[in-house]
Amino acid sequence: MRAGAGWLARRGSSGGAVWIIVLAVVVVLMVGHGSAFLAPQNLAALLSASVVLGLVSIGEMIVILTAGIDLSVGSLASLTCVLAAGLIAGRSALAIPILLLILALGAAIGVFHGFLVTKLRLAPFIVTLSTYFILEGVGFGYTTVPIGSMPAWVTNFYFSQIGPVPWIFVILLAIGLGLGLVLSRSRYGRHLYAVGGDRVVARSAGINVTRVIILAYVISGILAAFAGYLLAAQAGTGVPSSGSGLELSAIAAVVVGGTSLAGGRGHLIGMAGGVALLSLVQNAFQVLAISGFYQGVVRGVVILAAVAIFSQKD
Amino acid sequence: MQALIGGNGAGKSTLVSIITGVVQPDAGEMLLDGAPFRPRHPRDALRSGIAAVYQEPSIVPYMSVLDNIMLGQEIIGPGGLLNWAAERARVRGILHDVLQVDVPVNAPAGSLSVGQQQVVEMARALVRNARLLILDEPSAVLAGQDIEHVFAAVSRLSSHGVSVLLISHRLSDITEICDAVTIFRDGEVVSRGPLAQYDMAGIIRQMVGRDIGPETRSASAGDRAIVLDVDRLELPGTGPAGISLKVRAGEVVGIGGLMGSGRSRLVRAVSGCEHTTGGSIRVAGVSVRRNSIRAASRNGIVLIPEDRRRMGLVVNMSVGSNMTLAVLDRIARFGFLDHRRERAMIERGIRELSIKAGSDTQAVRNLSGGSQQKVVLAKWLAAEPKVMLLDEPTRGIDVGAKAEFYDIVRHLREAGLAIVLVSSDLPELGMLSDRVLVMSGGRIKGELPGGRASEEAMLEMAMAKAQLRDEP
Repeated sequence: MRAGAGWLARRGSSGGAVWIIVLAVVVVLMVGHGSAFLAPQNLAALLSASVVLGLVSIGEMIVILTAGIDLSVGSLASLTCVLAAGLIAGRSALAIPILLLILALGAAIGVFHGFLVTKLRLAPFIVTLSTYFILEGVGFGYTTVPIGSMPAWVTNFYFSQIGPVPWIFVILLAIGLGLGLVLSRSRYGRHLYAVGGDRVVARSAGINVTRVIILAYVISGILAAFAGYLLAAQAGTGVPSSGSGLELSAIAAVVVGGTSLAGGRGHLIGMAGGVALLSLVQNAFQVLAISGFYQGVVRGVVILAAVAIFSQKD
Repeated sequence: MQALIGGNGAGKSTLVSIITGVVQPDAGEMLLDGAPFRPRHPRDALRSGIAAVYQEPSIVPYMSVLDNIMLGQEIIGPGGLLNWAAERARVRGILHDVLQVDVPVNAPAGSLSVGQQQVVEMARALVRNARLLILDEPSAVLAGQDIEHVFAAVSRLSSHGVSVLLISHRLSDITEICDAVTIFRDGEVVSRGPLAQYDMAGIIRQMVGRDIGPETRSASAGDRAIVLDVDRLELPGTGPAGISLKVRAGEVVGIGGLMGSGRSRLVRAVSGCEHTTGGSIRVAGVSVRRNSIRAASRNGIVLIPEDRRRMGLVVNMSVGSNMTLAVLDRIARFGFLDHRRERAMIERGIRELSIKAGSDTQAVRNLSGGSQQKVVLAKWLAAEPKVMLLDEPTRGIDVGAKAEFYDIVRHLREAGLAIVLVSSDLPELGMLSDRVLVMSGGRIKGELPGGRASEEAMLEMAMAKAQLRDEP
């Protein structure tokens, strides 16, 4: 492995490079449709739309760092979305308790994943894919039509802002900074990178690989569950399958941001750039009023281009 | 600073595994500081201050050197976060003061040379306050300057109260830094004492023990045609002049040398498995494209690999299927296998090599080592090769099967095949070869005629710091 070949490669290896594309997209949008893009409602919508993807992507990144993957996050979010709205059913007092229950559910599923991956040594892809189907089925079993409702204060909070910035975005930033600190400056973070980089070496250095991996899936589960709760808050009711496709977008954001699917490499900054890029592209569709057909094609092309230029070549 | 010396298979690595808790001993006991020491797990040994550095560096490639050194021993500051300042100070202390090496602390560990990576591992052991550091053949994977650096670092350890057990066959290194020597043979200590008591001849004699048994020698290859002509083949680590060798029809050329000398890599390079950067290979005068297994086998070069389970056989397939694997195009018509021809081929193979299998549909996995090796042989013989390269062919095979194997090799030799035999079994080498080339450090150090290829002579040639001598 050669160390640092060129400015661009170095930026790429720290994940910051994807922000260059983000900047480019922003410039394009400003030039063409500056007024529409910079309108406060649009900016607020952009920021709040990035929260759900951002939360799930952080969890996904942590799992991918262990050389694993979590395909269940979308279904989990869909499930917790309908569960939250359905169980709360408009009763204000239940908002927080049910939130805690939801988070516990996410954690439990994470433990389940981690256990199967470490103790039974099953492939993460298969384990989380199975849960994807199971959770999807459970969700449909619970309801196939929008159910329940979220208390007004929750929904209001979702849309409230501090200045031009939505509160939930602030929450996302706080969580992101917190976990970013864990990744870069905590013992767990270093163990995480070691386990993903070379599991055998990590184990022989005395690291409890099992605990590291299980915790990674637990974090992913909690964040995905929370994302589902926010989806319910946003819609005011529990819409089935509202988290559908989240896992793929999250993985895309993580990979575009320079995290290696082989584990052990990646920075939160890059992942944040990936989330920003995907959110921007989505927002651009609305600003430019692009039809559904082009949306899919453009999104795919953007991801492909970003990965080809900036992701870690394994 | 103690050196542990022994030939291949003498049991050194097993001993290291026992000391570090990877393997449990059958009998006997170990004493650490006078108290019984029985590690059941590598972690026990680590906690007692014993660390081992192996040939394959044990580092996380994309993490920085600093993180690698502090792995498992991270220093936590107030607030639960890593105390980078303290870690950096500790690492610098060890690298600069104790080991006195200059390694970029923030670079990814994978970007360092192998020697530097080994130093990183040593540093990690020191952070754990290791009291005994075991170095298992460190120079086997190092080159030139790297070796100097590693050994310089090692020699400084003793001044810091760290004991070192160095396993190496490079007598020059041993004489430079070690105080005492222990010599192993066949799993037992045969000699032990301060270095001053030994000279190279004495050490070799202890390593080898008695002379080899009787040799059966038939007519030499003499003036027969040259079948394999390797000219200045360049591999990474062989030096600019490359390796040259010639093998005649009906000749067995043995290649001897200690572990890490590059013998396996040489035959793998000739057969196209290993990457070469220059030189030429010819079979019966026809030039063969390098770096292509298909070109090699199409021209009659065949390799019986070192690790037959991983490289020679599809272990879950049957004996019969394995045997015909290399020549399916010859028994297929329009893409479909001709079962009658396949059966004939399989039966011939079983008969000619006396393969003992319940039936040819038995999975190869269930066969004994000797039988498995015969299946590999049968597979490649079906391809009617001109050159056969054997890489440690009798490893893990019982005595009876070995004798059968030797017979097969002799028959092949009489049939006019050009054979190259790489073996760590010196008596075997001396017995089967018409002449023996001795390799060390990626080069051919010299040649010995088959009859006079005693173990002492081979070891002496391998361990001497001789000049490069090409094939005449």
